[in-house]
Amino acid sequence: MANAVAVAEAPVSPGKWLPAVALAWFVPGGGHFLLRKHGRGGLIALSVGVLFLLGIMMRGPMFHPQTGDLLTTIIYCGGFIADLANGVLYFLATWLGYAQPDVAGHVHDYGSKFLVAAGLLNILAMVDAYEIATGKKD
Amino acid sequence: MRLTLTHFEAALVFSLFASVVLGIVTKKTDRERLRYGARCFAYFVGSLFVVGWLMYLGHG
Repeated sequence: MANAVAVAEAPVSPGKWLPAVALAWFVPGGGHFLLRKHGRGGLIALSVGVLFLLGIMMRGPMFHPQTGDLLTTIIYCGGFIADLANGVLYFLATWLGYAQPDVAGHVHDYGSKFLVAAGLLNILAMVDAYEIATGKKD
Repeated sequence: MRLTLTHFEAALVFSLFASVVLGIVTKKTDRERLRYGARCFAYFVGSLFVVGWLMYLGHG
C-alpha cells in the first residue's frame, strides 16, 4: 500500500485575500484590478455593469428581505443578497432614489432578473479573486 | 431612459454576459477561457431555441 500522506494546506491569512475580495464585491472587477489582472477585471466590470444598467433601464424592481413560507424567504432574501452583491452599483442606485415597484410585465421581470444575475456574476468574480489571491489560481 | 427588450433579445444579452464571466472565472488560460465562453454562449442560444420550440409545440 502506498504511503498516502495527507498534506494539509497552510491556511492563508485573511490579510492576503480579504482586500481583494472586499474590493471585488464593492467595485465589480476591482478585485482583479488590485491583483493586476486588468483584462479580466475590465471584462467583469463591463459584464456586471452593463447587466445592472440594463436591469435599471428595464425598470426591474429590487428585492427586499421578506419572510413567510420557505419559498418566499428563499426568493426574497436570496434576491436581496444577490442585489446587494452588486456593491457600489446597488448603493448608488438606491441612494439616487431608484425604487421601482413590482409591477406586472415581462420587461420589468427581465429587468429584475438582470439585476440579480449581475450580482450573482459578481459573486463568481469574488470567488475568482479569492482563488487568485490565495494562489490557487493564476 | 427606458429600455424595452423582447424575450429573445433579453435572453441573448444575458447569455452573452454570463458566458463572458463564466469563461473568465472557470478556465486558466486565455485560449481556454475564450473557447469555454464561446461554448457556453452556444449552449445558451441552442437551449433558447430548443426550449422556445418546445413551448411553441407544447401550446399546440
